Amino acid sequence: MERQVTGLKRPRRRASKGLITVGVALVILLVASAVLAPSSLSQGAVLGMLPFASVLAVVGLGQMLVVQQGGIDLSVPGAVSLAIVIVSRIPNGDNALLVPAILLAFGFAAAAGLLNGFLVGRLGLNAIIATLGTNALLFAAVLGISGGSPTTTTRLLQSVAGGLSFGIPNSVFFAAVVSVVVIVLVKKTVAGRRFEAIGANPTAARATGLRVRVHQTAAYVWAQLLYCIAGVLLAGITAQPTAFQGNTYLIPAVAVVVLGGTSLLGGRGFPLATVVAAVFLSQLDQFNLAVGVPYAVRTLVQAAALAVGVALYTIDWSRVRGRFTSSRPTKVATTV
Amino acid sequence: MILLNNQTYVPADDLVAVSVPTLSLSDITKTYAGVVALENVSFDVLPGEVHALLGENGAGKSTLMNVASGTVQPDSGTIRVGGETIDVLSPALAAASGIAIVHQHPAVLPDMTVLENLQVALPASAFSSTAASSASSAPDAAGSVEQIAGRMLAEMGLTAHLRDRVETLTVAQKHLLEIAKALALKPRILVLDEPTAPLGQDSVDLLFARVRAAVADGTSVIYITHRMAEVRQLATRVTVLRDGRFRGTAAVAEITDDELLALIVGRKLESTFPPKHEADGTEPVNFVLKGFTGPGFEDVNASTTRGQILGVAGVVGNGQSELLRALAGLESFTGTATVADRAVTPTELLHRAGYMPADRHREGLMMTLTVQENAAISALTKFKKFLVLSSPREVTEVGSTLDSLNVKAPAMDAVVSSLSGGNQQKVVMARALLSEPLIVVADEPTQGVDVGARLEIYKILRQVSASGIPVIIASSDAKELEGLCDQVIVMSRGHAVDLIVGDEITEERIVRAAVSSTTHTIEVPTVRKQRPLAGTKVRSEGFARFVQGDYAPTVLLVGIIVLLGAFIFSQNARYLSAFNIYSVLTLVAALGFIALGQTIALIIGGIDLSVGPLAGFLVVVGSFFFNDDKPLSIVALGLVLMFVVAIATGFVNGALIRFGKFTAIAATLTLYIALQGLSFLLRDSPDGYIGSGVTAVMTTKVGPVPIAFIVLVVVAVLLEFALRRTRWGRRLRATGSSEESARRIGVNINKTVILAYMLTSIFAFVGAIMLMVQIGVGDPAQGVSYTLTSITAVVLGGTSLLGGRGTFIGTLFGSILLIQVLNATTFLGLSQMWQYIFQGVLILAAAVLYSVARSRKKKLEALA
Repeated sequence: MERQVTGLKRPRRRASKGLITVGVALVILLVASAVLAPSSLSQGAVLGMLPFASVLAVVGLGQMLVVQQGGIDLSVPGAVSLAIVIVSRIPNGDNALLVPAILLAFGFAAAAGLLNGFLVGRLGLNAIIATLGTNALLFAAVLGISGGSPTTTTRLLQSVAGGLSFGIPNSVFFAAVVSVVVIVLVKKTVAGRRFEAIGANPTAARATGLRVRVHQTAAYVWAQLLYCIAGVLLAGITAQPTAFQGNTYLIPAVAVVVLGGTSLLGGRGFPLATVVAAVFLSQLDQFNLAVGVPYAVRTLVQAAALAVGVALYTIDWSRVRGRFTSSRPTKVATTV
Repeated sequence: MILLNNQTYVPADDLVAVSVPTLSLSDITKTYAGVVALENVSFDVLPGEVHALLGENGAGKSTLMNVASGTVQPDSGTIRVGGETIDVLSPALAAASGIAIVHQHPAVLPDMTVLENLQVALPASAFSSTAASSASSAPDAAGSVEQIAGRMLAEMGLTAHLRDRVETLTVAQKHLLEIAKALALKPRILVLDEPTAPLGQDSVDLLFARVRAAVADGTSVIYITHRMAEVRQLATRVTVLRDGRFRGTAAVAEITDDELLALIVGRKLESTFPPKHEADGTEPVNFVLKGFTGPGFEDVNASTTRGQILGVAGVVGNGQSELLRALAGLESFTGTATVADRAVTPTELLHRAGYMPADRHREGLMMTLTVQENAAISALTKFKKFLVLSSPREVTEVGSTLDSLNVKAPAMDAVVSSLSGGNQQKVVMARALLSEPLIVVADEPTQGVDVGARLEIYKILRQVSASGIPVIIASSDAKELEGLCDQVIVMSRGHAVDLIVGDEITEERIVRAAVSSTTHTIEVPTVRKQRPLAGTKVRSEGFARFVQGDYAPTVLLVGIIVLLGAFIFSQNARYLSAFNIYSVLTLVAALGFIALGQTIALIIGGIDLSVGPLAGFLVVVGSFFFNDDKPLSIVALGLVLMFVVAIATGFVNGALIRFGKFTAIAATLTLYIALQGLSFLLRDSPDGYIGSGVTAVMTTKVGPVPIAFIVLVVVAVLLEFALRRTRWGRRLRATGSSEESARRIGVNINKTVILAYMLTSIFAFVGAIMLMVQIGVGDPAQGVSYTLTSITAVVLGGTSLLGGRGTFIGTLFGSILLIQVLNATTFLGLSQMWQYIFQGVLILAAAVLYSVARSRKKKLEALA
């Protein structure tokens, strides 16, 4: 029932459903870790987990932007792998070449993003097909540059991306900065608010005069830039990254977006919840490792989490409850 | 004889012949959430008569006909068909009783041909020669399906070719097709809901002739219309509804236009109105339309002064919405629109007009966002402080606007979908006002709005108008325009047929202008010429139809495959060695089967991401059974188990999509991850070698060609045939083409979709058997990549990701090309990089080429 008030209640700051869900899940997991597998919370384990959680968080944020526009980005593996290969192969140990290499990686990322954006936003191609094609081209670039063999990263990158400051992995700081930037851009700027509105209902957004295609294109460009950052970080964290390192991030990236509460149909994004979901999935790995359950269980948990995450938003739970608690409303029969 | 009493229905004895009414509805009452749609309405139709049903929008005509066709169950009342009382009339029972209804919006399937549309909607018996010969007057009525279908079209004067895609038809032609479908059923009762709205004069004459012929055969026709002229031309009796109540039945010959009009108008006032603008003669003109023409309306002229509200009246669908959309900058226009002495462009209007669309859910609001976000979206730049938004300023300003409109909601950050219709509309208004608009354009501003909120909305519109912003309102409720507007344009079939000013604006005058108009349609929304007659267009037609058809990509693929093959052969003669042919075709077989399955998922408008991991998982399962040391019974058991797993996977996919309301991506991605997990659960590393006996069976070949490939080709051809020629295939494509239309013509969507996903999984199972032999061991990491390659193969083959059109043959060749390209790199001595380049370029080129070809065709049509 609507409340009859003159003067609407002003908004209050509240945590989203997704953030609460995934936050509670993380707390439960941490408690379970502490009780059942204390070794998964040892300093070494946590320091080992956090860099990968950071990378997943950054990739997840990129995927979130695309999902907000009702799309999906399958070019994550190619994008992450390409960034890794460029920043490790081109300097080939020479610290002086690191910065140009990183700039080059961003250039490639922007180009890939524009390609995706053009194909989806402008030509109206299906996001799956467009990003699938782009992914293949990105991997072609990966193989063209690396020849398929892994390279050792430069010392400089290793110390910057893989090092510790104040006892915390540097990648965490990078991920934190990226998260804050994404949150401010999406939630606090004119462009960001329009971006969310377009994702929620492009038809209505068009009717109010918003530039729908520009924002849809921008989503893919921003996403690629974030994948690039993730790739650079990963190149520093892993001593000898392979040319196909990005492959392992596609599915988890989609999973953290959905777990964070962002609908695959587009609309509002939940960056903070996405980041928390990334930590959750990464800690789940540590936990499984410590408890000794096989890799398979982790995957099954991901699938279950995804199913629950989607079902929370798609199924009309009040109706389901109604079906179980009360008998169905009887149809008034046609009187004779 | 006129019956003016609202409550009692007295049959007009002198009209009702002794015959039993074909359909009789008595004392029908239907309420929706407390709102009365029909109250004790009685209506009957006799054999061989045309009974017109008149009334304004919202009078209850459509609801009554939905009751008659079984799609709406009344709260109370009696339904008799042919004198027999029916307790619950279902759509199926209505159809079986010979009730056919032609809706205002044709239930046609754009991706299918005219012939297929007829075939999917009509029972097979409609095409049997006996049915045709008994019904048609022509002596040579017997003939092939094409001939019979051709006659159905010819009888309606529909000039389209049977093999034309319905997508390429004009709105009028789609309507004729819909009517042809209904007539082909030889119904006892035919309900026509405003059939002439999109038709030109020729088609109207033909339609009337057909209706008369059907009536002569004893069919009862219920004819819903807004136009009195048509009632006079066609109907024997007329019944008028108003506000869901019966107003009277009369013989058309015995009632005058004025008497009919008196029955139609006079709705009870649902709301009071704020006082109108008192002109003192000094106000400047602030809004002028001159020769304003756009898609769906023509040469509209108007001029209002400051403080005047301009109304746009007419029966729904006569160009009012299009006119308002043009004023909101959403359609292009010619002529001029002047706001405050300055001509405005569509782009300017798009950004500066405060548009309140009729369909709030689709076009008005971002339903998942909050009240505040919705209201603020057009005015965000106002709240900018440096680079970021100032939250306090936004909250204060948006809040005060929402308060001034008296929006009732739990809070500003409540989700807008939780508000009542009236409050949602106020949020739309708040957005328009916050954006400081040039003009305010409101389409049906009080539709779905409760009475209390209506007055408030009227008052706000008055205030806006008084402040000097021109206000234009379209409404199908003449009473509302009478109460609110200072000038009213009446639209009929896209033309402004009347301009009413000041005190002359009365409901009666508006309705009279709308219903007595005899203008003819300018074919909304595409003002394009009728296609030339069949004889004159034969030269290019066949080729054009082929290019637009499903097989053009296939021919292109065959060309590329041959050229590429010839090129590689010229570089390396070993390319066509028996060994290479064998190994390439073996690879094609595995991919091909999985891709055939994927094609099914895409044709219904979905996608199946789980095929790859499913194939991989099935291999892992198989690796426990298909070993050298296992007896045949165990092998058979494994086969059955694999099959069951596949079917179960497909069922879960389909059920999640249909019952869990998952998107196809979400559902199949869940299964993708789960199946991968299960693979690793059964085997954490490759193990379980596939027995040589099984391998030998599966690798049998004829010459250099593996048997498996031959089976694949045969299956693809059979599937293609089924897709084109069987009920299953047509239903599959109907579902993908337009789920809503498919449902209306009686396709069981849930069953079709779930079966489709199960079939997709079954093909993944067949592919898995091929894969098992190729991999030779239960490797949990294998198979996954087949998801993306199968999608690539299907897209190369020309199947649309939008659903509704596709081809299995194309998929077959798509698979061949894909494998050929990967194989080519080895023979050309190219690095692995080229595999990826070829793959990426192929899929993007195919997607761009096919989709651009399609959209350009549409664009050309819009221009023509």
